[in-house]
Amino acid sequence: MRKFEYLKPDSIKETISILSQYGGKAKILNGGTDLIVEIRDKIIQPEYVVDIKAIPQLNKITYSEQDGLHIGATVTLNEISNSKVVQRNYPILAEACKTVGSYQVRNRATLVGNISNASPAADTAPPLLVLEAKVDIIGPTGEKIVPINEFFTGVKKNILKKGEIVTCVIVPSLRDEWTGVYRKQGRRKDVDLATVGVAVVCIRNEIRIALGAVAPTPIRAFKTEELLKGKTIDESLLEKAGISVLTEVSPISDVRSSQEYREEIIKVLVRRAILQAKGEHIL
Amino acid sequence: MKHKIRFTINREVKEIEVEPNKTLLKMLREDLDLIGVKEGCGAGECGACTVLVNNKPVNSCLMLAVEVDGKELLTIEGLSDGINLDSIQESFLKHNAIQCGYCTPGMVMSAKALLNRNPHPTEEDVKEALAGNLCRCTGYQRIVDAVLDAAKKGEGK
Repeated sequence: MRKFEYLKPDSIKETISILSQYGGKAKILNGGTDLIVEIRDKIIQPEYVVDIKAIPQLNKITYSEQDGLHIGATVTLNEISNSKVVQRNYPILAEACKTVGSYQVRNRATLVGNISNASPAADTAPPLLVLEAKVDIIGPTGEKIVPINEFFTGVKKNILKKGEIVTCVIVPSLRDEWTGVYRKQGRRKDVDLATVGVAVVCIRNEIRIALGAVAPTPIRAFKTEELLKGKTIDESLLEKAGISVLTEVSPISDVRSSQEYREEIIKVLVRRAILQAKGEHIL
Repeated sequence: MKHKIRFTINREVKEIEVEPNKTLLKMLREDLDLIGVKEGCGAGECGACTVLVNNKPVNSCLMLAVEVDGKELLTIEGLSDGINLDSIQESFLKHNAIQCGYCTPGMVMSAKALLNRNPHPTEEDVKEALAGNLCRCTGYQRIVDAVLDAAKKGEGK
């Protein structure tokens, strides 16, 4: 690996000042499961690696009915999927976290890292999109809270500007009764990126749908959601939903799948995810 | 600039200076001669480099050595007491859960961590815990059998 300086600030303030000073020359080290591979493969060559794991307020996970779930930047995926509070209140998120990488990877990788890396295939993104999570960003000009739907801007790109850092992801309380599922299609069960990922939440008369690995960013399928709103789900409507979703995505062919296979699997997964979220027994 | 770090490894306290761009894997193999830990893919996909950090299995290829400052490490070399093998190692031998042996240290460390956190795993639990450890020889069945047997004996200390 190319040489770099290792910095370990113990406050958000200090981190922002380092990031502001060095700009693109500095990279945040959180779980490291993406960063270290990218440095090794010379995809990035930072001069400063900024380890944020010594910042006390970033490793907290809290929940209240009033404020929802707050997941700090350095909370690992295993900590989330093992959290009783997450299992009880957001089972879809606990399940999705368990689909990332391997057990070893999930002991290091974080949810905030997963979304900040902004891979189109990020497994935690579709569930966060249907849960309408918010991203807490702190930077040189202060704090802002952005809907996750506005966070991703392109393949491996997000809205973070120079000096800014995601400190926390906030998942709101849904108050009404709801159900949700995340379905992932991969070539093998573990240690693979999603070929397609689909998250569905049923709440009131709404069905929310989000997908990963089918467009430059993880996306909500708003048009299809509108089509399903308030209607009784039957086979003919599910077929229409599948066709509608395909107009909202732009899957590519890559090492994991052809475009055609992705399109087919999108329809299958959307159908299965809706039925499963509705409590139907399916394979 | 080198960083001075202090950590416990296989129950022994160590203090050394490391370059920040050195992975934990490289430090273990090159500086501490702990060559039981193996490099397979170097990208967190094969699990051959699995070691325990604060009792949790991690890919040592995906961690910087400087990050283990203040932490407690266990590698395959620290499992036996020098005379008696760990029950998981015994069980791997009994079940012939080894062919070429390259994946074995990582497999054993993942299994060790599993039995530490869940002394009575189901077959499904074992498969989930070992899913990040690739083996190209055995077809996995003997490895799963070995871990289940070690657990059944209640010896997964």
